[in-house]
Amino acid sequence: MSDMNKEGVVVTRNVWKIFGDRAEEAMEAVRREKLSKAEVLERYEAVVGVKDVSISVGEGEVFCIMGLSGSGKSTLVRHINRLIEPTGGEILINGVNVGELNAEELRILRADKIGMVFQNMALLPHRTVRDNVAFALELRNVDAFTRAQHAERVIELVHLEGYGDRLPSELSGGMQQRVGLARAMAADPDILLMDEPFSALDPLIRRGLQDEFLELSKTMKKTTLFITHDLDEAIRMGSRIAIMKDGEIVQTGTPEEIVTKPADDYVADFVAGISKLKLVFAHTVMQPVEAYETGGRTLPPIDACPTAGPEDNLDVLVSLAVDQENPIVIVDDDKPVGVVTKDSLLHGIKGEV
Amino acid sequence: MATEQELRKPFLDFAGPNGAYYADTFLKIQKNALGRWHINVAAMLGSFVWAALRGSWLLFLISFVIDLIAAVNLALVYKYSKAAADNADKDFLVARYEGWSDSSLIGAIVVFVLGRLAFGWLADRLYARQYERWRVDHSVNSGLRRSRLGLAGLIVLLIVPLMIYRTTQFAPDERTCIKQNRAIAQGEEVGFKDRFDCAVIGEFPTLFWIDRPDKVTFPRDEDGNRIVQREPAREGAPPVNLNTYVSQAIDDSIAYVTVFYGFLFDGITKFLRGMLSAISSVTVGTPWPITMGVLVLMAYKMAGPRVTIFVAASLIYLALFGFWQTAMDTLSLVLAASIICVVIGLPLGIWVGKSQRGHAIMTPILDVMQTIPSFVYLLPAIAFFSIGKPPGILATMIFAMPPMVRLTALGIRQVGESTKEAALAFGANPRQLLTKVELPLALPSIMAGINQVVMMSLSMVVIAALIGAGGMGYVVTEALENTETGRGILAGIGIALLAMMIDRVVQKANKTRR
Repeated sequence: MSDMNKEGVVVTRNVWKIFGDRAEEAMEAVRREKLSKAEVLERYEAVVGVKDVSISVGEGEVFCIMGLSGSGKSTLVRHINRLIEPTGGEILINGVNVGELNAEELRILRADKIGMVFQNMALLPHRTVRDNVAFALELRNVDAFTRAQHAERVIELVHLEGYGDRLPSELSGGMQQRVGLARAMAADPDILLMDEPFSALDPLIRRGLQDEFLELSKTMKKTTLFITHDLDEAIRMGSRIAIMKDGEIVQTGTPEEIVTKPADDYVADFVAGISKLKLVFAHTVMQPVEAYETGGRTLPPIDACPTAGPEDNLDVLVSLAVDQENPIVIVDDDKPVGVVTKDSLLHGIKGEV
Repeated sequence: MATEQELRKPFLDFAGPNGAYYADTFLKIQKNALGRWHINVAAMLGSFVWAALRGSWLLFLISFVIDLIAAVNLALVYKYSKAAADNADKDFLVARYEGWSDSSLIGAIVVFVLGRLAFGWLADRLYARQYERWRVDHSVNSGLRRSRLGLAGLIVLLIVPLMIYRTTQFAPDERTCIKQNRAIAQGEEVGFKDRFDCAVIGEFPTLFWIDRPDKVTFPRDEDGNRIVQREPAREGAPPVNLNTYVSQAIDDSIAYVTVFYGFLFDGITKFLRGMLSAISSVTVGTPWPITMGVLVLMAYKMAGPRVTIFVAASLIYLALFGFWQTAMDTLSLVLAASIICVVIGLPLGIWVGKSQRGHAIMTPILDVMQTIPSFVYLLPAIAFFSIGKPPGILATMIFAMPPMVRLTALGIRQVGESTKEAALAFGANPRQLLTKVELPLALPSIMAGINQVVMMSLSMVVIAALIGAGGMGYVVTEALENTETGRGILAGIGIALLAMMIDRVVQKANKTRR
């Protein structure tokens, strides 16, 4: 992904957000003198919400932004549909600079291109599920019949058939968030912004919705920015993860990169408790056959060894290694490319690769 | 577990001298073990001196006021005994003054004894509160400091002599003081005591006098056009005070506006009259069986069977006692005023709810509208619109509008930020945000506002009968003038039923909608 020949669908370039009456002054001072957050607060009574963030999200990718509360992740995502104006930098959607749109163009962008899901659902309590789902279409003055048909289709997608005429208050939290998801997808946007969509739900329901969303996102191929404060969730959902701290992105990478090569102690602390079984793959822990044999050992005949592919994760390798004397041979295109011993497997599980 | 000593240390730090006693007491208070009749004897005897030393100004105020009331009563005893002695030749005056003197003496003793006991009882309990505040903030007064007596002494010195003097004297009346002022102006000698009495212990003295303003009239000239004519006050007319001067100026400007912009008020009057006659043609003009039937049916549709029974019974009451036409008259007035209130109040409420400036501008205006006694609205209404139903509606409208504006604004402001954000995120423009999100979510509050408007309109329409708005209020005012108690009570019950009817129907309709 890193060197794409075309730019991402959603790109932010050096986005800054400073809150306060003297944000502009503070911004200039920051550019000039490279002030720290504390200095900005002291001198300008302004709070740095987002600090020089540049990300690029490719088409169909689920990009997770993970950080604790107050890290600026929700603020960042609200820049993308300009619910919040950046103090500095620019946001491009399909190459169009969002900051240069006029009010009408911005509304069209929000209604057609971007769907958003909120942590607290933010459904309209006086409208039925169907009318809530059709809200974005209604704002675009789509006629009632077409609206209802669209809505019904999306309601089926999120498995809420038969609930179209209910009010949100009659639904459970998980179901309400499905309505939120359906509402975001009703206008068939290219981009989904998900602001901690599952954080307020209990773990079992959260798990179910995560799976459903993964399923949906595989078929719908929507470019998604997924905000979460839960690293487990980020790892489950994201094809890439950006970790934010104090308004800054401290590391961006695939789940495996984050887990195996944390950029600093902060990330390492987070990753420490995460199970690596599903995140680390054979090609990372294996050693070439020659290296294995220079250690004075000889590889048993391949027929006697368990074999696996380079893209198999540790979970698979562990199952193979159980009750087995011989090392695992990693086979690619019918050729052995590497060896995984029990030692290297254990190191892999500990994240030491 | 802290040792006994550690436990008592903060109490000792706080109380300073005699800390052991306060440590015991405060601990008892914290353990809920303080005796019901526990009294701080030092506080009871020392009263405000004790409170000042301990730096509790609330207790100082309480004890000072108790002692002051006792002292004032004693001064009254002196004043009335002296008066009785001065008027020894008139038996009835002696009897009256001695009676007053005795009751003052009893009052003084009772206040002093009970007050001191109550203060002694209160002292430790409030002092413990002060200790709790001191725990949080050490700048709260603590310990016992003689320097505080200075301030306390100053307060006592400033207040007590004047109070005692005021009570031992008979205050001069206002006219005496005006005469005295005039005498001073003409160079006569007036004793210091009289001057002091007028300036300090009577009415607040009139500090400045203003020349009598011109008399303004608006006669017609040769062409029949109105002109402004000013006539200076006659030579040597006595000056007037501020109140007279300003009310004269207000009268003049109202007269000016009605004379030169009368067409405006005539237009409003015509509009109101037209609206009212349209409404009355339905309520009053329709034969009673139809109106009654429609009202009962409406009640049933909107509020269900129980309320309908109440409505039907109330309507029968009004009909049986011969109030049908007048009640319908009142209803028309209420409807007209309420409709105008909603039509004007709703947009105003939205403005107040959404705009910070609207809020800043309207809040004081609404406060004034709600606090001015309702009778006061009647006067400008008469001044601009003469008497009759239209000024009655206008006065009612001004009186009943504030809750509409306030509750609409409240409803709009209560719509959650996140809900609004979601609507914006899906591309709502400001108009869509208002009509599809804010107004629907504010609806319960708006309906409560309408209910308030109707209720307040009804109460004001009754008062507006004083300026000829007619209806049920007229029956009441007539009964008041002729002291026909029975008739007044019957009409009063009728008005109450009318109000309850509307209220029940509107409220029930609101609830079922939700």
